[in-house]
Amino acid sequence: MRSRRATAVAALLALGAAFAIVAAASATVNRSAAPSAASSADSKLISCGTTRTMGVLEPITGPAASLGKLQNDWIQFYVNSHNRTHKKAKLRLAKGDTVLGGPGGTAEAVKAAQSLASNVLGVIGPAGSNEVKAATPTLMNAGFAFVSGSATNTEITSDGTRKGFFFRTVPPDAIQSTSVSNFINKKLKFKRVYIIDDQEAYSTGLADAVQSKLRAAGVTVTRDGVSQQQSDFSALIAKIPRDTQIVYIPWQLPPKGKAFGEQMRSAGKGSINLMGSDGLFDDAFASLSGVYASSFPTSGSHPIVKAFKKAHGGDAEFFGAPSYVAAQVVGGAIDRACKDGKATRAEVRAQVRKTNLKKTLLGFNVKFNSVGDIAGGQFGIWKSNGTAFLPVG
Amino acid sequence: MNWSLFWDLTVSGLTLGSVYSLIALGYSMVYGILKLLNFAHGDVYMIGAFVGYFALQGLGGPQNPSVSVWLVVSLMFLAAMLGGGLLGVVIERFAYRPLRDAPRIAPLISALGVSFFLQNAALLVFGASFRDYGTFDLIGGKTYHRGNVFLSVPQILTIVTALLLMIGLTLFVARSKIGKAMRATSFDREAASMMGIDVDRVIASTFFIGSALAGAAGVMFGLVFGQIYHYMGFIAGLKGFTAAVIGGIGSIPGAMLGGLLVGLAESYSTGYLPQGSTFQNLYVFALLILIILIRPSGILGKADVKKV
Repeated sequence: MRSRRATAVAALLALGAAFAIVAAASATVNRSAAPSAASSADSKLISCGTTRTMGVLEPITGPAASLGKLQNDWIQFYVNSHNRTHKKAKLRLAKGDTVLGGPGGTAEAVKAAQSLASNVLGVIGPAGSNEVKAATPTLMNAGFAFVSGSATNTEITSDGTRKGFFFRTVPPDAIQSTSVSNFINKKLKFKRVYIIDDQEAYSTGLADAVQSKLRAAGVTVTRDGVSQQQSDFSALIAKIPRDTQIVYIPWQLPPKGKAFGEQMRSAGKGSINLMGSDGLFDDAFASLSGVYASSFPTSGSHPIVKAFKKAHGGDAEFFGAPSYVAAQVVGGAIDRACKDGKATRAEVRAQVRKTNLKKTLLGFNVKFNSVGDIAGGQFGIWKSNGTAFLPVG
Repeated sequence: MNWSLFWDLTVSGLTLGSVYSLIALGYSMVYGILKLLNFAHGDVYMIGAFVGYFALQGLGGPQNPSVSVWLVVSLMFLAAMLGGGLLGVVIERFAYRPLRDAPRIAPLISALGVSFFLQNAALLVFGASFRDYGTFDLIGGKTYHRGNVFLSVPQILTIVTALLLMIGLTLFVARSKIGKAMRATSFDREAASMMGIDVDRVIASTFFIGSALAGAAGVMFGLVFGQIYHYMGFIAGLKGFTAAVIGGIGSIPGAMLGGLLVGLAESYSTGYLPQGSTFQNLYVFALLILIILIRPSGILGKADVKKV
């Protein structure tokens, strides 16, 4: 008798649990499939007040925190300049830490995106292309325009899935890889190239693109990779044949690029040319005389760059410059959307699409094409004189 | 056989292995006495690197040192070893000593907590930027070679200093009074205490010495590889721990041997194995598994014998 009652109680509990699971699952399906949540976030009026909030998704901690700092310095510089001239329409930043390259992977970027408060009108970031991919559903569901200053993977705009929501202020890998491969093959006329990626999405994507273009042009390319967290490159350098004409390192951390160059010289291979990507376009890497780097056609004499350098101990921190422009884009869109004192995220997105910045510090005008890339974005090639990069191609 | 590549890889492996050996020594010494895996040790190494960096800056920086270069380097080592050692003592006093009689999982979790605390404290205090030792400016880029063997000055400095420190430690543990007390405490803490040995003092001394060696390793790393940052202790700590386990955790010669083996394995796998530089950690940790399967107590470790 007792066992029959126990069986009945267990069956009831199981049934209840099954109902609960089905109900929870339905609720989940409703939440993710229904457009209502997105559209309500999209059209919800947010009072602008005298201080408007921009979200920033960047690596504040973790292995790539040094990159986040460069971006943050430039974004904060924009906000400070903006607030000096807009006393009644100030901007403030709500920061989310994406821990780029950390053990939590892109889940940290998703968590950071989920943590953005309801008063946030638009977002700068995320920094990495994989982070953009991971955080897209959360950011689009919340109706945000999100503008990255460093995610260069070609696919994130060309696949069309983020159209109208995602924008970037750096030209994609497809453009950078064309500039780099043309310079190596047509200008320098080198035929033996060693490419080393740093195993991050930015680096492998760019390395793949440059490698395929050079091989298609008949150049002999040897490919290798090294962890972004590694600082000892001596064994890797030992493998590079002495008759190599140029080593291409599309890395994101200029101090690592500098360390690599110094270790090449220590190993007696300083005569091999060294070239970095826009991630290494920085004073630290430029301190190695004779190295090349690709970058947007910026200029150290641009008044904004000069003002930034003055405020930051003479260091231009160029890697973060596109994030300044991303802040200009989002901040400008918020200013325009808030003209009547209230704005929706949809209005901010529409204003981002209408962006038309002239003579930016990147060296070109910033206007977006239909997929969110800069119309007419370009990359140049620079060579270091030991203290700064000078344009050579 | 490309002998030039072989010797380049060997020098690279020995240099890196010297750093790992010094880190592994700290792990091994602490484990030998407390049976505790001090996962904060990698971060003590990171703090040591920063102390060395600030000592260098305080002495005028790499381009304009206020005293002779070799005095600067010596003072950097001294400051980093003192700083690391004191930090080790503080960690032991506040994070481990109160948990000495707690279940073994408690100090382990405490060690992980201290590791994250130090990492984030370094980020907060020193910032996220990489710091450059400026070794080229300080010591110069001169490379010596004999036949196929190329050695830069920082590499020579690292290998020789590590060797001297390891010899010094071996002599200290074998011949000094506190060294003998360390061995006694490691053998049987309770009995050592009953014989009048101040166990707390011995444990604090062990932490001081192990952490001082980690501090020295931090400076070596900065001098050879140039750049230091708040996250550098994580992987180095794991490799140091691996070295200690491979050599036989608790064994001082084992830690030295393990460090050199891990350094050489890392270097040779980069040079000779398919996609070695990409998957060097896979190869190194595969070596760890292989050695543990063959000799569970490590190469020079002794199996625990229990009276039944």
